[in-house]
Amino acid sequence: MSISAPRYGAASVVRTTRFHRALAIVRRELLRRSGVGTILVVALTYLAVTLVLTINTEFASLVGTLSLSTFETPYASPVWPFLMLIVATSVGAGSLAEDVGNRSITLYLSRPIQLVDYLAAKAAATGSWLVIASVGPGLLGLAVILVLGWAPASLVLSGAAAFVAVGFLASIFFTGLALALSSLTTRTLYAGVAIFGVVLSLEIAAPLVSGLTGNSSVAYASPVTDILSVAQRAFGISGPYATDPVTSALILGLVGAFFAFFAGWRMSRVEVVGE
Amino acid sequence: MTGIVDADSVTKRYGEVLGLNGFSASFQAGITGLIGPNGAGKSTLFRLLAGQLRCDAGTLTILGFPAWGEGEFRRSVGYCPEHASLFDWMTGTDFVTTLLRVDGFPRAEAHERALAAIEIVGLTEARDRRLRGYSKGMRQRIKLAQCIAHNPMLILLDEPLNGVDPVGRANLSALMRQLSTNGHHLIVSSHVLYEVERLTEQIVMIAHGQAIAQGDIHRIRDLIDSRPHMVDLESPDPRGLARLLGAWDHVVSIEFTAPEKLRVRTRSPETFYTALPSLVVTEGVTIRSVHSADDNLDAVFRYLAGGGR
Repeated sequence: MSISAPRYGAASVVRTTRFHRALAIVRRELLRRSGVGTILVVALTYLAVTLVLTINTEFASLVGTLSLSTFETPYASPVWPFLMLIVATSVGAGSLAEDVGNRSITLYLSRPIQLVDYLAAKAAATGSWLVIASVGPGLLGLAVILVLGWAPASLVLSGAAAFVAVGFLASIFFTGLALALSSLTTRTLYAGVAIFGVVLSLEIAAPLVSGLTGNSSVAYASPVTDILSVAQRAFGISGPYATDPVTSALILGLVGAFFAFFAGWRMSRVEVVGE
Repeated sequence: MTGIVDADSVTKRYGEVLGLNGFSASFQAGITGLIGPNGAGKSTLFRLLAGQLRCDAGTLTILGFPAWGEGEFRRSVGYCPEHASLFDWMTGTDFVTTLLRVDGFPRAEAHERALAAIEIVGLTEARDRRLRGYSKGMRQRIKLAQCIAHNPMLILLDEPLNGVDPVGRANLSALMRQLSTNGHHLIVSSHVLYEVERLTEQIVMIAHGQAIAQGDIHRIRDLIDSRPHMVDLESPDPRGLARLLGAWDHVVSIEFTAPEKLRVRTRSPETFYTALPSLVVTEGVTIRSVHSADDNLDAVFRYLAGGGR
């Protein structure tokens, strides 16, 4: 080992901005979460959505029923929200829990970076994966359709806007949920089980309670139902909707934001304690 | 107090457990050894300094700034935690570079500094290997690399020699001394006391969350010498020996610690050691071994931690 210690002197280097410092964490987090399982699920989503979208569009144009609602087909079943749930669990569960659990958060926060930047970076990384999984497949499918000339550009553009709107809304919800539950534990596994458990419980409980009580507003408690209602509205389907799409969109956005703020509040109180 | 780090009655609780209990000390320029047994509060103090914990009471300043919270002053602080996990899927170079990017260094500068720091800690050959393949000693060294890569004024090293092989310990100790010579200030915690003795004579001793002694180890020794000094003796006739020693007026107490062992406390170690050989000659007693139980830093610590018992 060579012994040639640096000589202390006032730093003359121009430092990067807060944004760039946070970006270093985003990059690290994106790499960390790019596991084989996540990539497989995302790739499967891309493949499935693109195939369904193109086949359905070709069929609709042949029978003359092509419209904006044609593009809604991949999102017409709960499969897509559940793929989102898998991605959210895969990339979001360890987002905060892992850093606190193994105390690597110390390596970040002992540096000149603010907690809010750290959290924003974590949210950006988790959200990026979710956007990649939710918006990307639809856009890829529409690009294929556009290239093949199976739908007019204006219709494809409207479809793209709908995919972006629904995808971002779902990503906000799942990002907030994942961060909130990840901030509550130091075990990635527990956070993952919690994310899955919360969503699945709501999916099972909401229709049951709604049916038993006859109170249809309980259906808003189901994130998947909310997402599907918003998707139906965004793709121009006139209804009937299981829930009011506007209310569902508000619930998804506000609940997602609330969860994200909760994660921030929780992390501001987390002290990294040794054994 | 106007040290590099000043602590004034700092208290930190973990529920019912006191991590620090009115800890007051001033850490001066150069290398300061923070010594104490496991659970004494060393890591708690480091986490407070690193901004990972918040004091429940008292004030703690680092380079003149409050230790809790965010701030640009952290650019001037390097922290090498004892337990923090590394990013195991990264290579050594990526690990240090990433943290330098979080520090605010541009990409090229961060890479250049990372390579330099890795070379300093002697990991150049392993720098492109993933951290999961590093040995414990190598992990300690890469943690040290991330700690010094941004050339901080103050370097906090929490048990830096833990898990490092003997050769590595010697090298890291030499590096710490050189960092100090080059103008850095270091606070080094350890429970391996002889290593701190080799590194610095400036120490802060901590036990039960309190600073029990601070300053030059020789001054602490003087303090000790003004109190009863412990000597362990081994003899086949401990009772006979105890009877003879009990007649000396500077002997404060005699304790039988084992069937053939005595622990003697004397107010005058010099007189004791001078008179002991004559006892052997004139009285014909057999003394198999003499050991000054508080002849090193470990004993100083135990003495002070025990309240001078």
